[in-house]
Amino acid sequence: MNIATRQQGSSTLIDVNGDIDLYNSPEVRKIILEELKEKKVPRLIVNLTGVRYIDSSGVASLVEGLKVSRTMSSRFMLYGLSPAAREVLELSRLIRVFEVFVTEQEALEAK
Amino acid sequence: MDNALKLIFPSDPRYLGVVRGAIERFAALAGFDEEDCRWITLAVHEALTNVIRHAYHNKYDQPVELRLRERDEGIEVVMVDHGTGVKLEEMSGRDLDDVKPGGLGLHMIREIMSDTQYMALDGRNELRLFKKRGSKTTAGE
Repeated sequence: MNIATRQQGSSTLIDVNGDIDLYNSPEVRKIILEELKEKKVPRLIVNLTGVRYIDSSGVASLVEGLKVSRTMSSRFMLYGLSPAAREVLELSRLIRVFEVFVTEQEALEAK
Repeated sequence: MDNALKLIFPSDPRYLGVVRGAIERFAALAGFDEEDCRWITLAVHEALTNVIRHAYHNKYDQPVELRLRERDEGIEVVMVDHGTGVKLEEMSGRDLDDVKPGGLGLHMIREIMSDTQYMALDGRNELRLFKKRGSKTTAGE
């Protein structure tokens, strides 16, 4: 798995590539929480376009990011969910709690 | 010869991707379609991460045995570990309306598989999962 951050205007994007499972979800969690808690970014967008597989520990990292973003008054958004990633979020009935977009442009332009 | 595959590997999360590959291909050989193969793989993966986290408390050098078997009506997966057993009353998924990290794996396993049985006896824990052909998993229902 590769993970990188970049800036687009006032939005911070995290690009994740590969599988998110128990082996590497701690790294995803660490970077999400760093951006929100330490850098206090106002708008964090996670790009899941390159994620083929996500397990419950990966979903838990995203849920933790969402909860922290609420306490920090930041926005937390996802885009580019693969069918497998979408299925896992739907099965856990958590898809409804996230702001989910199809493309990066839609996420960036969301009011 | 019995149509079964037996894998023995350490409880190291580095091997999760390798094991997922084996499960997905075995499920395809057993006649499940692509979507069901993904679901079965997810359920077994979640059971395996539960073993690593809760039975072996994140000790990565403990043995896990996985047996995959084709049955007339579907696929059977048996997972054996020698870690801390779970009390039956503790084996409940969490309330999904409570949005919080964690506790999702068991819910996923039960939603996906047709039958789940767990036995803990004399330091040996055995989880038996069965997925019937034609029993569809529907996300979000």
